[in-house]
Amino acid sequence: MNELLNLLKDGHARTTLMLASELHTTPADIRRKLEFLENAGIIKRISLTAASCGGGSCSGCTGCGPGVSPGDIPGDRKGKSGCAGCIPGAELMNMGEMWEVVR
Amino acid sequence: MSEKVTIALLGQPNSGKSTLFNALTGLRQHVGNWPGKTVEKKEGSFTYGSKEYDVADLPGSYSLSANSDEEVITRDFIASGNADVVCILADSSQLERSLFMVADYAGITVPCFVILNMADVAAAQGKKIDAGLIAQRLGVPAILFSANDKKGYEPFYKALEQAVNKKKTLDVSSLEASYEKIEGYQKVKKLMPEDLIPGYSPMWLAAKTLENDPVVLAKLKNTLDAETVSKIDGYRKGVQGAVETGSAKFAWIDEILSGALIEKKESAALGKLDRIYTHKVWGKPAVVLTILLGLIASFIPALPLMGFGKAFGMLKEPVTAALTSAGCPDFIISIICTVFIQSLSYIFQMLGFVFGVTLVFGLLEEVGVMARVSYVFDNTMGKLGLQGKSVMPFLVSFGCTMGGAAGTRVIDNWGQKVLTIALAWAVPCGAAWAVIPMLSSLFFGPGAVLVIVVILLTMLLHMWITAKIFGRGLVKEEDRYGMIMELPPYHKPKWGALLRYVLGRTKDTFVRVTKVVLLVCAIFWLISYSFSADSVPILYRIGTAIEPVTKLFGLNWQLFVAFVASSVGKEGALGVISALFTGGNFAGAFNQAMSGGGVASNLNEILLANVTKPEALAFIFAITFNMPCVVALAATYQEIHSAKWTAKIAVYYTLTALLLAAVVYHIGLLIF
Repeated sequence: MNELLNLLKDGHARTTLMLASELHTTPADIRRKLEFLENAGIIKRISLTAASCGGGSCSGCTGCGPGVSPGDIPGDRKGKSGCAGCIPGAELMNMGEMWEVVR
Repeated sequence: MSEKVTIALLGQPNSGKSTLFNALTGLRQHVGNWPGKTVEKKEGSFTYGSKEYDVADLPGSYSLSANSDEEVITRDFIASGNADVVCILADSSQLERSLFMVADYAGITVPCFVILNMADVAAAQGKKIDAGLIAQRLGVPAILFSANDKKGYEPFYKALEQAVNKKKTLDVSSLEASYEKIEGYQKVKKLMPEDLIPGYSPMWLAAKTLENDPVVLAKLKNTLDAETVSKIDGYRKGVQGAVETGSAKFAWIDEILSGALIEKKESAALGKLDRIYTHKVWGKPAVVLTILLGLIASFIPALPLMGFGKAFGMLKEPVTAALTSAGCPDFIISIICTVFIQSLSYIFQMLGFVFGVTLVFGLLEEVGVMARVSYVFDNTMGKLGLQGKSVMPFLVSFGCTMGGAAGTRVIDNWGQKVLTIALAWAVPCGAAWAVIPMLSSLFFGPGAVLVIVVILLTMLLHMWITAKIFGRGLVKEEDRYGMIMELPPYHKPKWGALLRYVLGRTKDTFVRVTKVVLLVCAIFWLISYSFSADSVPILYRIGTAIEPVTKLFGLNWQLFVAFVASSVGKEGALGVISALFTGGNFAGAFNQAMSGGGVASNLNEILLANVTKPEALAFIFAITFNMPCVVALAATYQEIHSAKWTAKIAVYYTLTALLLAAVVYHIGLLIF
């Protein structure tokens, strides 16, 4: 796991397949370790939905709340509600999973 | 009924706990909340043989660390002594990861047994699991099971009876041997009180102490004397406890499964296309080529709307003729034809591009290509404080900044989205590329190539400086990350959903952009209109009044007005200078600007006679790095939803364009 963490911290982007190849293990092994590191708070999953608003806070935003219903957001492909006031319909499709190293 | 036994169901989310709970208890269950928490509490009962069993469905959690309410509730329930036996569920189809809960349970002294659930799924995947060998290694009953198969519950009841009767706990000798290799573990374990938390062994507590478990650390602080706590703090200092114990747990799982799980190993080899996209040398060119091809392809679906826009613009002449014959005042005719018809024609043409770009890049996203684009450019973008996917708006901006701004919808972080748009504005758009080569070759002949190279280098410098200026306020250090990515498989697009999305987006863009463009057009038209033959338009009066200032930037008033007009649409700048230098109707300048540059046939001679080389250089840089156009301005507002930041970016680009013009003008004076 330390080898994996060292690779993650070197600032270079890698896919799970590349990590598996570099560490001479299987993609399944890398995935379970990423899951562990995520749960331990060492890495963080990146949200690819409209949920992350400007500044990371919805305070003062009139676009959030129960008034927003599925379909209200322009271009919302999945019909999910979100923060119409901050990011318009930024629902990404088929972008895979991404993580960042927290510490 | 002779006795009552309580069993607790423990497992990770989606391990099949609820299915098992419902199948066991049927209607004999009730749902509430755990005391003081919003976490759902499910309890029920069933009878098997001579025994009655109470069942507690513990909240699903990844592990037994105190990271969430669910995990704390689970631990507290086990510590309460209410459970006689704990049934741990693991997903047979992914045992390497789902046995982590079992590994984290190791060291807890409450008897347990293991259910390797979803055996049917594992079998369908071709996995062969020797549950007997796993049970032998774990030291507790373990069975292959499918909670969905209600007729196959007999093995479960047998394992339950066995666990209740024999009261066995997990064999942790091998796991502890791994723990003992971790620095500080043995010293910490020696200091662990036997009864700190009922049901939890010193081994388990020592491991959690090294993992910085807040609940265990608080208990230690309250129970032990300060000197002992200080010693423990010293032992765990500098040890990456969670990583070390986690590694030990995974190694233990692998040991348990060695020879007990036979499966086809997933290859770490990349597919053919991904081998190209992720290649260190060819990855970036391949991605750039893909995006450029996408950009070219986006013109195909754009053509009908662009054609419609042009056809709409052709209405001007018949409408003018009809209104004139009807005796309509020139002022009204000009408003209808110049402002409304011309603006809408322009909007429709730009909308065609938005439709095409959104369709093509939405398709690339659905197919899975955009994920590869993000991956390939992450490191480069990181140097500008951006994510890998920011490269797409930049490349699209070479064609149209509006498309680039619209393309930032793939960026989830608001600050990065604003910064990406701010940098995308520095990329000369298609209209600018129509003007730059023409003016450069007119004034500098073969030296035009050098001018274009300098413009491209200036673009990179501009982006770097802009990233430094805006990046501080928009992108926090924690927003940046070294990206780890699970590339999605390529798959066929869902055309219906994609088209609904593209049409919705185009309609939304049309509504928003029309409002802004009509307003700006009306204002610009008013200041350039000659209300009578002998009156001087405001534009001229302002232009000549400010010329002493505009000269500082190397721009005489005509060039400065053309610079201002380039804010509306860069391709119109040529039409403006043509009209102003030939001294024609000033109102016509705006008309030509919006029509895409009706250039006078003798423009070359006029320009060469009236504009010096340093002035020409200043003008080329000014319009290239000026704000792209009002439509891009509207698209920026549409994407970032902030009038303040839209205005900031626009003002910044206007000022930096003039600053760049001044710099190159004075350099030009030294050269020419």
